[in-house]
Amino acid sequence: MPLSRDLPTPPAAAPGDTEAAWTEYRLPRAQPPDGKEPAPPDATMLASNARWFCRLRWIVVAVLSAYGTFGLLRPEGCILTGIRGGGVWALAVAAALAGLNLAYLGFLRATEGSSRRAALATACLWTQIVLDLVLLTVVVHHLGSLETFAPMMYLFHIVLACIFFSSLRSLAVTAIAWTLYLACVAAELAGVVAPPTHFAAPPAVSRAALPLATGLVQAGSVLFISATVWFLTSRIAGALRQREEELAVSNRRLLAATEERARHLLRTTHQLKAPFAAIHAQTQVLLGGYCGTLSEDVRSTVEQIAARAASLSRQIQQMLQLANLRSAAQQPPPRVAVELAAVAAAAVAAHQPAAARRGITIEAALETAWTTAVADHAAMLLDNLVANAVNYSHEGGTVEVSCSPRPGGGATVAVRDRGIGIPAEKLPRVFDDFFRTTEAASHNRNSTGLGLAIVRQAALAGDIDVSIRTAPAAGTVVTLTFPPGAPPGGPIP
Amino acid sequence: MAYLLIVDDDLDFATAVARVLSQEGHETAIETDAAKAVERIEQRRPEAVILDVMFPEDDTAGFDVARTIRRTFGPLPVVLLTAVNQQFPLGFSPRDLDAKWLPAVDFLEKPIDFARLTATVNAILARHQPHPTSPDEAPG
Repeated sequence: MPLSRDLPTPPAAAPGDTEAAWTEYRLPRAQPPDGKEPAPPDATMLASNARWFCRLRWIVVAVLSAYGTFGLLRPEGCILTGIRGGGVWALAVAAALAGLNLAYLGFLRATEGSSRRAALATACLWTQIVLDLVLLTVVVHHLGSLETFAPMMYLFHIVLACIFFSSLRSLAVTAIAWTLYLACVAAELAGVVAPPTHFAAPPAVSRAALPLATGLVQAGSVLFISATVWFLTSRIAGALRQREEELAVSNRRLLAATEERARHLLRTTHQLKAPFAAIHAQTQVLLGGYCGTLSEDVRSTVEQIAARAASLSRQIQQMLQLANLRSAAQQPPPRVAVELAAVAAAAVAAHQPAAARRGITIEAALETAWTTAVADHAAMLLDNLVANAVNYSHEGGTVEVSCSPRPGGGATVAVRDRGIGIPAEKLPRVFDDFFRTTEAASHNRNSTGLGLAIVRQAALAGDIDVSIRTAPAAGTVVTLTFPPGAPPGGPIP
Repeated sequence: MAYLLIVDDDLDFATAVARVLSQEGHETAIETDAAKAVERIEQRRPEAVILDVMFPEDDTAGFDVARTIRRTFGPLPVVLLTAVNQQFPLGFSPRDLDAKWLPAVDFLEKPIDFARLTATVNAILARHQPHPTSPDEAPG
């Protein structure tokens, strides 16, 4: 009997179904970390950066205080540095910076428990930047905006912004610095503010002797140098940040994979070691004389059995460990064009003998359908689904396998049995490693519980949707929705 | 002679353990379902429980059973067994055996050494001589 195309919705149409309630479960797609999830705003990091700026500012305060004190004590010494006016101006700037620093730290402490801490820390950071630039501009004006190298102090801020912020934000800092500096120069040239008073340069380069063109060239040089520094530093910092993010994503994925592998290894080891533990125990019962005295020949034979069982147990454990170690270094296999009807037919053929032994009929309605997938994964998926359908069917039952292209591209493959079904509350766990429902374990003691775990892994890796419709004692339909694909050499005919 | 309960989902293994302990002169019973272990103890209290850690439904069902036994029955000696050795992440090691966290008196790894098992069981029974329990005695 060929299957109808609406195989995945069987409850009403399928003859012989009971009145059991059918449940549908869809395998969640985004389980493993894929590196695309947005990083949550890190308030702690922002606050930490704001505090780091404060610590740096304390150093500036200390240097200015030292210079100011020296200037007060030895004004003539200040002249040697090219700056007049003793140390009062330096002490004033240091006091302003210290006051602001205390205010910033107090603000950060007060907002520690706030739910808007990230936004407040960001605001604190930008306030610090803007006020620092304003204060710096005042210093630059008094030292000589065109006559000295004081404007180069803007570079400290630009470089720090490039290190801590994105390119756009560091450009914003650079733009603020430019604006303040140009405003200062323009105000000086227009006579809005008095010329610098602390610059003790020789008359040859004093403001009075400085032509306007030279002043503009100097101001332009400051802008050019700062733009170049911004560009180079932001590019380097951006590349470093990107690499850091990539490393963080890789690290998260590695941790998740390690955890998953460890769990898998644990269960597999138990499953494989337990039978050998039983064999070993039975041999020890015999060798211990608990079943009577053994002849030498029997004892020797039992000892050999015990030794080989122990050896095999160890080998299995070592192979598993090795396989896990190797898998950590593996690259994901390439996706290629796969014709799913052929894959499904192979899976059906592989399980036909086992089905026949239990009087189970496998009916296949397979249409050519292309997808893009890892060929081995597609084969694993269908092989496990058909195996499960046969395993959990009742004797004399029927398993139905269908494959058809989807209108928008891709393909749908459905495998249906009319067997024991899955209780609704256990559906979310059926993809777990070694998980078997009580009904499944008693129906087929030899199944490993790994079939759907393999389906899960292969589906997640291949962007394949998996949904299960099932009802206890009525059966199960597993539907796979594959992504679009085309045969090699051209589109689907 | 003591009455011992063996709780292990592997019936073959449990049978072997039971045979050895029976030959040592003890009376044994086997329970393959961790969820029913407490019920079996309630029906007849053993002098000690030989308890597997991993069960099909849960990697560490044995731990839960051990804690339930401690809560429900007080200082009933429990010997833990597992086929998974310490290099795998069960989240414990024999060093962690502690009356509060994991109420068990010993931990044996499969494949089991029966000489050690019998020695362990005999030592436990010697330490925990059966004594009449008063109705007022609260479980720990």
